[in-house]
Amino acid sequence: MLLGFLEELGRAARIASLGTVNVFLPPFRLGLIIHQMEFIGIQSLPIILLSSLFTGAVFTYESYEAFHLFGAQGYVGGTVGVAITRELAPTLTGLLVAGRAGSAIAAEIGSMRVSEQIDALNAMAVDPINYLVKPRLIASTLTMPMLTAIFDLVGILGSYLVAVHVLRLSPPEFTVRLQDWVDWDDVLAGLFKATVFGFVVGAVATYKGYYTEGGAAGVGRATTTSVVVASVVILILNFFIAYFVTSSVSG
Amino acid sequence: MSWPTRAELAAKAAQMTRDPVTGEVAAIRYVGVYKAFGTHEVLKGLSVSIPRGKITAIIGRSGTGKSVTIKHVMGLLRPDQGQVWVGDDELAAMSDRKLRTVRNRFGLVFQNAALFDSMSVFDNIAFPLREHTRMRRAELQAKVRDMLALVGVHHAEDKLPSELSGGMRKRVGLARALVRDPEFLLYDEPTTGLDPILTAAIDELVVHTHHARPGLTSVVISHDMAAVLRIADKVVMLVDGVLAHEGTPDYFHASTDPLVVQFLTGSLHGPMKV
Repeated sequence: MLLGFLEELGRAARIASLGTVNVFLPPFRLGLIIHQMEFIGIQSLPIILLSSLFTGAVFTYESYEAFHLFGAQGYVGGTVGVAITRELAPTLTGLLVAGRAGSAIAAEIGSMRVSEQIDALNAMAVDPINYLVKPRLIASTLTMPMLTAIFDLVGILGSYLVAVHVLRLSPPEFTVRLQDWVDWDDVLAGLFKATVFGFVVGAVATYKGYYTEGGAAGVGRATTTSVVVASVVILILNFFIAYFVTSSVSG
Repeated sequence: MSWPTRAELAAKAAQMTRDPVTGEVAAIRYVGVYKAFGTHEVLKGLSVSIPRGKITAIIGRSGTGKSVTIKHVMGLLRPDQGQVWVGDDELAAMSDRKLRTVRNRFGLVFQNAALFDSMSVFDNIAFPLREHTRMRRAELQAKVRDMLALVGVHHAEDKLPSELSGGMRKRVGLARALVRDPEFLLYDEPTTGLDPILTAAIDELVVHTHHARPGLTSVVISHDMAAVLRIADKVVMLVDGVLAHEGTPDYFHASTDPLVVQFLTGSLHGPMKV
């Protein structure tokens, strides 16, 4: 079992490192990268918009109840702002993209593997890492912070709408604390996390797809495990990045 | 068991520069090749040569390592032991980057065509040209349409692979393998799963393609014994991962060896058990 785990780890590290090295090697495949950014980024927008709007809304609604007990409801805007920018936006965006785009990437590359399309690339002297892995790795790493920034804005908008129009906070009550508590370090900390999570989603999905074996059932397994592994890695890394990296960024 | 050294294998390869069946220069040489997947040994010391400019057919029962043999010659698989030579290049010692330069000399027709299912027929055939050449658009279109006409699927260039029949997919696969005018053309069971008429059409295409390109070395894996004995210049028979017989079609026709007779007649009775 330990050997199997080490073998898996070695393969994942190989794909991630070869994919990273290939970023600097021609051909650069700008068209494929843009196509993947459209797939991972633009096509994930509806789910990100909906999720962020309602995440901000419900977090505001629930935390208002608690703050209201102490007459501190004015803290809602700042609290929700910090929580969204530092934690909720990067983590939830990572999990959502792993579920929507990561699974699709693993399934696509996996079905290419079992139908010998990856062998066909090799046979035509085209490096599958450069052609398949690199564009997805770059696109995933670049689009995740963009989606997270959108999550930040829409999440805070959802929070504002509930706070002001449902819970009857005055607009200044909400915005003053928000401006006081949320600064650029919080936003940048979240975007840094999102960049790491984007790389994780791309690396895990391409790795699981690339090493698919066992026909249609194998493609199914690769798809499922890519979502599970990427989600767990995101949740674990979230803690370690918060503890070792972004906490020092914000002082 | 002691494995031969690289120098010993190279010395053996040097003795295999001429193909013993056709007398032609050996374009590809397998020297003591072993390959296993997990505990399952597929090739168990295969040594054989493929003559330049001829059609060589590789026959043998399912699971005897025919596809594995063909994938070694392009470096898609690497031997656990032994050497594979393409001309004067020994593949096992090559880096991935160098291997890609060798692969540029090959075309491979996959058993299930292995077409890119997200691309149209036209884009599938144009793919190797777009990857490796700076051909102008008009030139590229003309080349792809020539290939489509050659394999008789010129009416299907905008279709996706999922919209094609099995025979058409194989033809498109052949067009894609041919489009860069390779030195070597490898066919992995090109007629498996086709009806007898389509099988004859593909066999005819293999022969026509070979003779239309002087110097082309063709290797065909096939179970269609009648076609193999009709089209091949040399036949290689693998049994349990090693060379059992090699010879001209006439040699196989005349052979009284129980292995050959059983395989050619498709009999259930003989040394090979089901």
